[in-house]
Amino acid sequence: MANFEQTGPGKPVLEATRVDKVTPGYRLGHNLRALFVVILAIVGLIPVFVMIITAFKTRPDAIHVPPKLIFTPSLEGLVFLFTERASASPSRLEELKKAAEGVQLSLVDRIALNAGQEITGPSDYVFRLRNSLIIAGISTLLSVVLAIFSAYAFSRYGVKGKGDLLFFILSTRMLPAVVVTVPLFLMYTQLKLHDTHIGMILLYTVFNLSLAVWLMKGFFDEIPREYEEAALVDGYTRMQAFFKIVLPQAVTGIAATTVFCLIFAWNEYAFALMLTSEKARTAPPSIATMLGIGGIEWTAIAAGSLGFLIPVVIVTFALRNYLLRGVTFGAVRK
Amino acid sequence: MATIELQKVEKKFAELHAVKPMDLTIQDGEFVVLLGPSGCGKTTTLRMISGLETVTGGKILLNQRDVTWLHPSQRDIAFVFQFYALYPHISARDNISFPLRAQGESKEEIEKQVKEVSALLRIEHLLNQRPGNLSGGDQQRVALARALVRRPAAFLMDEPLGALDAEFRESMRAEIKRLHIDQHATTVYVTHDQIEAMALGDRIVVMSEAVVQQIGTAAEVYYNPANLFVARFIGSPGMNLVTGHYVDGVVTIPGTQNRFSLPVGWRKPVDETLKESKEIILGFRPEAAQLNNAGKLSGEVYASELQGAFAVLHVNVNSDDIVHIRTDRVINYPIDTVVHFDLNPEMVRFFDPQSEAAIQPEVGA
Amino acid sequence: MSTTTAKVASHPRQRHLSDRAIINLFVWPTLVLLILVNVFPLFYSLFLSFTNYSAIAGKAPVWIGFKNFANLLNDQQMWKYFATTGKYALVSVGLQTLFGFGLAMLLHEKFKGSGLITTLILIPMMISPVVVGLFWKLMYNPSFGYFNYLIGFPNPIRGPDMLASSFARHGVPGLALYSVVLVDVWMWTPFVMLLVLSGLKAIPDYLYEAAAIDRASSWFQFWRITVPQVAPLLLIAILFRTIEAFKSFDLVMGMTGGGPGDQTELIAVNLYRQAFLGQWQTGRSSALAYIILIIIIAVSNLYILYLNRMRGEA
Repeated sequence: MANFEQTGPGKPVLEATRVDKVTPGYRLGHNLRALFVVILAIVGLIPVFVMIITAFKTRPDAIHVPPKLIFTPSLEGLVFLFTERASASPSRLEELKKAAEGVQLSLVDRIALNAGQEITGPSDYVFRLRNSLIIAGISTLLSVVLAIFSAYAFSRYGVKGKGDLLFFILSTRMLPAVVVTVPLFLMYTQLKLHDTHIGMILLYTVFNLSLAVWLMKGFFDEIPREYEEAALVDGYTRMQAFFKIVLPQAVTGIAATTVFCLIFAWNEYAFALMLTSEKARTAPPSIATMLGIGGIEWTAIAAGSLGFLIPVVIVTFALRNYLLRGVTFGAVRK
Repeated sequence: MATIELQKVEKKFAELHAVKPMDLTIQDGEFVVLLGPSGCGKTTTLRMISGLETVTGGKILLNQRDVTWLHPSQRDIAFVFQFYALYPHISARDNISFPLRAQGESKEEIEKQVKEVSALLRIEHLLNQRPGNLSGGDQQRVALARALVRRPAAFLMDEPLGALDAEFRESMRAEIKRLHIDQHATTVYVTHDQIEAMALGDRIVVMSEAVVQQIGTAAEVYYNPANLFVARFIGSPGMNLVTGHYVDGVVTIPGTQNRFSLPVGWRKPVDETLKESKEIILGFRPEAAQLNNAGKLSGEVYASELQGAFAVLHVNVNSDDIVHIRTDRVINYPIDTVVHFDLNPEMVRFFDPQSEAAIQPEVGA
Repeated sequence: MSTTTAKVASHPRQRHLSDRAIINLFVWPTLVLLILVNVFPLFYSLFLSFTNYSAIAGKAPVWIGFKNFANLLNDQQMWKYFATTGKYALVSVGLQTLFGFGLAMLLHEKFKGSGLITTLILIPMMISPVVVGLFWKLMYNPSFGYFNYLIGFPNPIRGPDMLASSFARHGVPGLALYSVVLVDVWMWTPFVMLLVLSGLKAIPDYLYEAAAIDRASSWFQFWRITVPQVAPLLLIAILFRTIEAFKSFDLVMGMTGGGPGDQTELIAVNLYRQAFLGQWQTGRSSALAYIILIIIIAVSNLYILYLNRMRGEA
């Protein structure tokens, strides 16, 4: 290290770092840690890879012994996901095969044919997906917005009975879903909220509020009051200080809270199963219990799960800059 | 204590030149202020001296020792941050004693030192509090104590008064000044507030857009600004700068009857600098102008501001330029009145509009 | 609470909302919504817990006082399930905390692609728990699953049967439970990681800079700067994960359904069984739910007390 102290690093430093962070020792440690994380990430994502490749396998391949890493990809999973099928009798299979040779069948039909089945119509999947989008999207928006405001108040003010109120909010999430379903079911049926979008939105909003409020309060508590107070000294009102100074600093927290709430609402299964039937049913209940002709349709489940996963990944990816932003200090006083 | 020397120190962030190569020598015990608007490079320069920022080029010497690549803790400097940077979950006492504990000083020695500096900064009664329970001013005092306790070779301060209320700012400013006189410590101080700079600094380094504009005492930068930027930036309001037409020793303000003859000692330098050009900028501070019914210059009152002990008149000398004239007579001048004034010949300055640099008069003027 | 809020003066000249009005405007909508949707189910369940109601029996609920509670608390099996759940929660949340914190610290250092990796690591958390359970079941399968294959058994049959607690025909008691724990940790570590990372990013650089100048050791920097700043968020993460662990249902049902035997019979799974399978003992299961609730409340209070003490709040 004596050398470094005399000559500095080999190349001129063109970024913002401290002197001790450009020493060769530090750089080495830094690079090793980075490599370690990358490896960890890859290993950790193996199950996701498994899911992805299963989505593109044929049913026999999916449950092949020993597990197959090399296989011919097929769209069987997707087809099974989006269609309803019936098992075709041998004679019917013959008919269809003849039609296939005459190029009279669509690709989709062919795939079904390969599995010995015949398409009878489209499945509900797309419809359910739409419901999921509406219900999860709106409830997330509502819970995050409500949480931002109440958490700010809890963080900055001495609200009467703050501790108790916060605990009450927390407690709404404590009862296992299983227990609350019977009374909820009764309540919803009475109020004609059963199997409605509004009913589900209301429920998810309420359920997420607890986490959202606690998280946002945690984030607001982290933002030093010096900034608002500097603003108040400069003549801003509380509301202005809130919108102009506190919120921008809380963006990381808002992004994280949004992601968590969205994930919960999007993936929620128990309540969706029990409180909806036709009109407002979301996707999770149908994906999880996709029982096809011959038992668990692994490929369809994989395809469905993958497809269902993608919107959440997209939203998270879109928010990633907010999620990972550091807080910018010093910008306030300029 | 210590001398600090910057030799061709520069900093680039990718292609952006945050600090163009600069040279600066700070004497032992001197209080030097780095002054400039935000983004000018003053904070980056300070951070490079401390080691919190790496240099892209150049050398930094502390007491003739090359510290350019030394760890910040090995440079024998103390840093005071704008937002105090006190360790939030330990008491003020523990904050202050921390540097000593890190160095392995004995308990008695630590206690003695802590007592001394907290007495100096009058915070003995706060030692058991946590920073979160203290006001901004008190937190900054604790931060100062933490810096002092190390008896460093030099103090580096990054806008330490920036986060404080106006009233605190003034009293803390006085305290910092007093401390400096007391300790006679080499200090480098960053601020964007030129009043602060002039009040505190032995010398001021005026910076703008990564370049040093002028290095000089408060008097020098005030009375003899090196260029238009310094002339505008220093003083509130800044220096009056009027573009005029120059011929043969006389400055004419276009569009008016105002003529001003160059005072003694200016003719030669101005002629030499301007050569063929006919454009010149006349500069004078508000207090350099005197209202006088028989005054040779005139203009129309645009606005007037009562500022307590005196008033500042905004006077239109032509359609483009409004000058500020200080008058200590609290008289209400109605808008559009014509007023006459004279300029104190010893207090005027001239600038070359092309280079924006000041023209220096002959010695003795 | 710090005194600084009280110090700030209002500006009577400006038109603005008073502090009181702000509190009301900000807090009430949340409270009202929560009360509306939650109060009825809460109280109705409470009522049912004192009855012998069965949702499919078609008879009206009959009051039986504390009988349900007594039966449950005297049942050895129940205690076993509670113990299993407690073990599950402790190990799972503990590991999530450890790994989540570690990952966050690693990802906090900026390196090329750290943003991308952080986002990718969040994926396990984004998959529906039921699906996660199903897929890990597929992966753990000793015949055609990848798990055995990847941990070094090219012929998976020779490897352990993770969900049946056996290995080469020997029983490995408890293996199934830890197999489920593994999946839970896999799924939720990103949650803790993200929260800790957000906390880390909120720590002002100047604290570390001051520490560098003061020659503070890495140890000091970690325990006196990093941990105290991150601890509140970390604790909130742990609080929620603990509550969820006690309620854990989706994952286990998808993977083992409580088996083999009752090795993975978590309390919430048993609750489901009592409420919706067999005899649909709605009253009794409501009583069980309230016992669970009380436990969760007790544990949460502990956490919250600790959280408040950490923040210096009264």
